[in-house]
Amino acid sequence: MNTAPATPTPNATLTAVAAAAAMLGGPPFKQFICNACGYIYDEAEGDPDSGLAAGTRFEDIPDDWACPLCGVTKTDFSAYAAPSIDALRASGSSAVVVASRGGSAGVVIVGGGRAGWQMAEALRAQDAALPITLVSACAADVYDKPLLSIAVARRLDPAGLVKESGAQAAARLGVRLLPQTHAVRICADTRTLRTTRGNLQYDQLVLAHGAQAALPPALSPTSVWRVNHLGAYQKLRAALGNGEASGPKDVLIGSELANDLALAGHRITLLDTQGEPLARWQSDHAGSQLLGAWKDLPIRFIGGVQVACVERNVDRIEGRDEVRFCVTTTDGQTFVVDQVVAATGLATPSRLAQSAGLDWNQGIAVQADTLRTSNARIHALGDCITVQGQASRYIEPIARQVKTIVADICGGEPVPYEVRPAVVRVKTTSLPLTLH
Amino acid sequence: MNPADLPRALTTEAPLAGDTLLAAVRAVAQGPLTQVVQAIDREGHYPLAVLKQLAGLGAMSAHLDGPAGPGDYGLAIRAMAEASRVCGATGFMMWCQAVCGLYMQQSGNPALMGQALQQHMAGQGIGGTALSNPMKSYAQIESLLLKATPVDGGYLVNGTLPWVSNLASDHYCGAIAAVVDDASAAREVMFLLRCDAPGVELRECPSFSAMEGTGTYALRLKDYFVGADNLIADPAKPTIARIRAAFVMLQCGMAVGITQGAIDSMWAVEAQLGHVNQFLEDRPDTLQAELDALTTRVMALATTPFDASTEFFIDVLDARAHGAELCLRATQSALMHQGARGYLMSSDVQRRVREAHFVAIVTPAIKHLRKEIARLSAEEMPA
Repeated sequence: MNTAPATPTPNATLTAVAAAAAMLGGPPFKQFICNACGYIYDEAEGDPDSGLAAGTRFEDIPDDWACPLCGVTKTDFSAYAAPSIDALRASGSSAVVVASRGGSAGVVIVGGGRAGWQMAEALRAQDAALPITLVSACAADVYDKPLLSIAVARRLDPAGLVKESGAQAAARLGVRLLPQTHAVRICADTRTLRTTRGNLQYDQLVLAHGAQAALPPALSPTSVWRVNHLGAYQKLRAALGNGEASGPKDVLIGSELANDLALAGHRITLLDTQGEPLARWQSDHAGSQLLGAWKDLPIRFIGGVQVACVERNVDRIEGRDEVRFCVTTTDGQTFVVDQVVAATGLATPSRLAQSAGLDWNQGIAVQADTLRTSNARIHALGDCITVQGQASRYIEPIARQVKTIVADICGGEPVPYEVRPAVVRVKTTSLPLTLH
Repeated sequence: MNPADLPRALTTEAPLAGDTLLAAVRAVAQGPLTQVVQAIDREGHYPLAVLKQLAGLGAMSAHLDGPAGPGDYGLAIRAMAEASRVCGATGFMMWCQAVCGLYMQQSGNPALMGQALQQHMAGQGIGGTALSNPMKSYAQIESLLLKATPVDGGYLVNGTLPWVSNLASDHYCGAIAAVVDDASAAREVMFLLRCDAPGVELRECPSFSAMEGTGTYALRLKDYFVGADNLIADPAKPTIARIRAAFVMLQCGMAVGITQGAIDSMWAVEAQLGHVNQFLEDRPDTLQAELDALTTRVMALATTPFDASTEFFIDVLDARAHGAELCLRATQSALMHQGARGYLMSSDVQRRVREAHFVAIVTPAIKHLRKEIARLSAEEMPA
C-alpha cells in the first residue's frame, strides 16, 4: 500500500494567483498557523469569508481580524512551514514508545487441557503476581483424559469425570480464563493473540492447544466420532445410551475405547488397516495377547481393511427416525452400525503456528532444552509440539515440559527437557499392557 | 544486469501493474472528491459524478475478469483504500458498486452479464447490495426479511429491508429472498432488484452518524416481480458460498484507507504537537507498521478470492475484523493527536472517527465476524 502522505491539491485559481505574484517578482507566499487551533492562513488563498482577498500578505491583515475557526487574533499566529513527513519519520520523533495500557501483559496460554492447566499452575506457584490468561476453545474443565478409556470399567458417570470446573480452577489460581474462545491468529510483531472474544497482548505466549483427530477423507466429520476430549466423549456416551438399560448399540471403532465400551454391553466392530491390534508393538505379541483377552467380550476385530465410505441412513422405524451408518471397506465388506468412532491418528492444527511464522516439522518445532519455538517469546508443549520431528502425545512428558518452560520464562536454573522413550500403558482393562 | 547497479528506488519498489489506475483514483480523491467531502458528510450530498468518474476509471471493476485479463482483487481493494483515505463514505459506495458487479458476473445469466455488466463496469449503471440481512441469516444471526412466492415465469417478492446503500430511483441492487413454497427444504433466490420497477418503494432513512451521503434507503417491496432476466442465482446458497470471501475481503479497502487517512492526520500535526503527542499510545509509526502488515496480509488473501476452504474464509474474516479494530484505534488516536482542531465539525479527523464506527458495525460487524469465526472453528461432530 502506498504510504506516502496525502498532499493537498493545489487549487488551480490560487496557483494561478501565486504564479502571477511570482511573475511580478513579489516574494513567495507564506503560511501562518494559529497557535490556538492549528488553522493555517495561506497568503495565496487569503480568507475570502472574512474579506481577505487571495494574495493578502499576513502583515497586511488588520489587527481586528479573527481566526475563522477559533476567533483568536493575528498576534496568536506564527510562521508555518508544511512539515516534511519523511524528515519527521527520519527524526524518529514518534519512536518513543509509551507503555502499553495496564502494565505487564504477562503470559497467555492457549489450551485448557492438562498441558494448559499444569502450565498455569506451575507459573502461579513460581510467581504470585504474574498476569496469566488462559484461552480455551471449550469450557476448560479439569479432568483426567486417560479416564476416557476406562470410565465404564471404573463405573464413572461421563458427567462425573470433571474434577474441577474451568471457572473454579481459574479462581483458585488467579488466572483470567476465556472459555469457549477460539484463538485465531498470532500477530508476533505486536505480540497480540487475536481471539473470537477480542485481542490479548502477551509478553510470553505458551501454546498448549494439543492436536486434533485427523480424519481420512473417506470419513465425514458429521458421521464419525473422534474422542480426543471430554466434550466429544460425553456426547458419544449420550448418543450410545446405557448399553445394559437401553439395549446395546453396535459401534464401529478403532481404539482402546473398544474394550471399555464393550464392557458397557455395546457390540464393537474394530476395523484396522493392520492385521492385528497394536501392530506397532508386533514384536511384543501385543495384538495376539489382546485378542485372546477379548474373546469373552462383544468385540469383533477385522484387520487389513480400509474404509472406503461411511453413509448416513435414516430409517423410519415404528414412527421414529433411526439413524444408522453403513460403512463400506475398499474390499467390499459392509457394516451397518449405530455409531462410528474413528481413532485414525492425530494432527496438530497449524493455524496459530503458521500465522506467527513458527518453524514447523509435523507439528510446532521446539528446541528441546527450552521448549521455545522459533520465536523466543512463544513456547509450546504437549500434543502440539515435535522435537526433531517427533511428537510424543502422552501424559508423562507434560509435567517435565512444564518445568522446562517455567524455568525459561521465570528465570533461574535451566531445566532442559529430555526426550525419553515412551512407556505406553494400554488401558485395556481385560489385559492391561505396558509397552515400550 | 546486476540489480545493485540500478537506482535504489527501482530495486526496492517495483512498479505495480495497476499504478496508473491508483494514481488516477488518487487524483480524483484529492481533487473532485475533496471538494465535496464536507457536503457528503454534513448535507447528505450523494456524489454521483465522482462515483461515475471513479467507475469510469475502472476503480470498481478492477476485480472483475474482463477482456483485458483476469480480475485483480488486490488492485480493487487498493483503489477503494485511496478514496477511503479522503472519504470513507465514498469508499463504502465503491464497495457497493464492486460487489454488485461481482453478483452480475457470477450470475451466469446472459441478461446480466452482457451489456448490463459492461454499463455497470463503466459506471453508466450504478448498483448496491441488499445482502446485509442474508449474510446475517447465513451466519445464523437473523432471519430473511424478503419472501419470494413462485408465480408463472418467476417470483413475486414482498418485504422490507431497513437500509440499502448506493441507491437512487434508477439504480439497482443484488438481493436475496426466501422462497415460500411447499417444499420442505429451505431455498433462497438471489436477484437483481431494479429500483425503477413496479412494486419498489425507496423510503428515506433517519439521519446517520456518518454515511449520510451514501444514497441509503429503506427498500419496501410489494409484489415485486422477478423474472428470468434478473435472476442471479436460484438456489442462492451455492453462489453465496462461492463469493462470500470475495464479498468480505473487498471491504478491507475501506478499513485500510480510513486508517491511512487517520495516520496522515497524525503526521500533519507532528511538527507542532509532537512534543506532547509523544505521550500518547498508538503513535503514527506504530500504527503504520501494523497497517502495513495487515495490508500485506490482505494483498496475499486477494490473490485467491475464490478459495473455498473454511480456513481461508476464517483468515478473510479475521483480516476484516483486524481492519475494523485498527480503524477504530487509528481514528481515535488521530483525534487525540490533533486535539481541539480535530474536534471541529469541519475537521476530517472527527469525521473519520464516525466513519470508523461504520466499518466496525456494517455487516459483517466485528461481533458478527467473531461469532462466525467461532462457528467455523468448532470441531464438527455427529449430531
